[in-house]
Amino acid sequence: MTSPVSPEKFIVPIGPQHPALKEPGHFEFTVDGEIVTNASARLGFVHRGMEKGTESRTWVQGLYLMERVCGICSHVHAMAFALGVEKLAGVQAPPRAQAIRVLIGELERIHSHLLWLGVAAHEGGFDTLFMFSWRDRETVMELLETISGNRVNYSANVLGGVKIDIDDKQKDALLKGMDFLEERTRHYLKVVTEDETFLGRTRNVGKMTYEEADTLGAIGPTGRASGIQRDVRVNSPYAGYPDFPVKLVTATAGDLEARFVVRIEELFESYRLVREIVEKLPPGDLAARVPRRIPEGETISRVEAPRGELFYFMKSNGSDMPERIKVRTPSLCNWASVLVTAVGHKLADMPMILAGIDPCFSCNDRIVTVTDHASSNQMSWESLRQYGIEYYK
Amino acid sequence: MVIDDDLKLAESLLEKITISSTRPEENRVDFIIHASDIKKATLKLLREGHWGYLSAITTLDCPEYMVDETTKEKKLVPEKGHLEVLYHFCRDAAVATLRVSLPYEDPTIDTICDILSSATLYEREAAELMGITFRGTPNTDRLILAESWPEGVYPLRKAFTGLKDLQTPEEGVCS
Repeated sequence: MTSPVSPEKFIVPIGPQHPALKEPGHFEFTVDGEIVTNASARLGFVHRGMEKGTESRTWVQGLYLMERVCGICSHVHAMAFALGVEKLAGVQAPPRAQAIRVLIGELERIHSHLLWLGVAAHEGGFDTLFMFSWRDRETVMELLETISGNRVNYSANVLGGVKIDIDDKQKDALLKGMDFLEERTRHYLKVVTEDETFLGRTRNVGKMTYEEADTLGAIGPTGRASGIQRDVRVNSPYAGYPDFPVKLVTATAGDLEARFVVRIEELFESYRLVREIVEKLPPGDLAARVPRRIPEGETISRVEAPRGELFYFMKSNGSDMPERIKVRTPSLCNWASVLVTAVGHKLADMPMILAGIDPCFSCNDRIVTVTDHASSNQMSWESLRQYGIEYYK
Repeated sequence: MVIDDDLKLAESLLEKITISSTRPEENRVDFIIHASDIKKATLKLLREGHWGYLSAITTLDCPEYMVDETTKEKKLVPEKGHLEVLYHFCRDAAVATLRVSLPYEDPTIDTICDILSSATLYEREAAELMGITFRGTPNTDRLILAESWPEGVYPLRKAFTGLKDLQTPEEGVCS
């Protein structure tokens, strides 16, 4: 019996809904057998019109709105916005405020990277690592709650500085927490570089060369794992980073393993930085005064979010409301790298490659409907099964 | 200063295409160029000079306003004004911005996707939200807005204040 020859391609849709998904996205992978031959993305399921929203809110309200762009890296959004407003207003936040901004920024990076480690391990079928890293992540979540009162949306920034201070008791808790996490992270580094089963899912998978990463505009840990020397904290230090410099962490392999190693190495750098800031926190005020009306002008504010460079373009018309706020989040840059590196890999590697850029969502599951292109009808799993039984009778 | 050297290099690369350039901040240089020169400028920066990477494409709506004499209210003058597309290139701390002004009647510009394939997502975003047409862009499918969103309605335009103003056939679908 011969199977009918079809010029149609087989497309596997992934998303947008998934029980374990933290953010929705839809992907269509065109496959030839097991091998992916093309990939496309459809975003926007959580588009909330926030850029437009800032135009009808005051600068102060905008700060709180922008903090809610992302639930994982909320602090960097508020920091980028506040730094931009301060530049436009010609106000300099006091050194203590800038150091506290960096401190919370690094704590946020620690929680984000540990969260990613868990998600990526889960995608690779390594749920023990997922459970362990998320348990340890609670340490940093509790520290953030102790400092700010919140687990997410810490609301540490005000225009002109910060509103929370660090006392001696919190300092002790931070140092203790960093010691515990450093020890655990050392173990995780060993696991992801030595565990044979896990390496089978990561080594030489989703490889992106330096040239590819460069032309695709990959940023953050995704780019750095391919040797891209880009980190806004290093290239263009902002807030407290001129006083508390960080070391650039890169790798050359460009595969998924390298992306694990880069993020884990960055954790060590964050632990070091948190300790340093806690020990050398400059004295002084927490905030400077920022006028209600922001002088006319344009500025660009760039910060390094856990996933890469976060870009804000801000334009003021001289009133108490922004004329235009443009946000370019790091994930948008990295989608291109996923869609290109996916081609040529097995479908089963897709969840890992998607998770590799840390878009903070999983795509393990697949929608059980198949698009019948010839008649453009949707077939349910049940009718597909029935079709199969009839076909082979 | 490294930043200054980088900015000077960008200025010399784009010397022949630039209509005018300004330094709005110490790490930034803005180039005003003709819309028809966008490919040439991108090639000069990225290929010839290896000057950084494309960090973002910003779109601006710059309408004209008039102030009502009696009520002192600021109002939009319909059809007056222009759109602006800003291409931000970053090299370490230095940022070079190519600024292109486009008229409302024909907001069309050449795509740069043939030079830089990753620009497609930025272009699709700009096309959907601000109504810029990118000539030759490989993909014009909806990226962000809902499938039921009416054609020709661009939410980031200043004239757009909500779908309620519009008489859409599918009322309530997009809310």
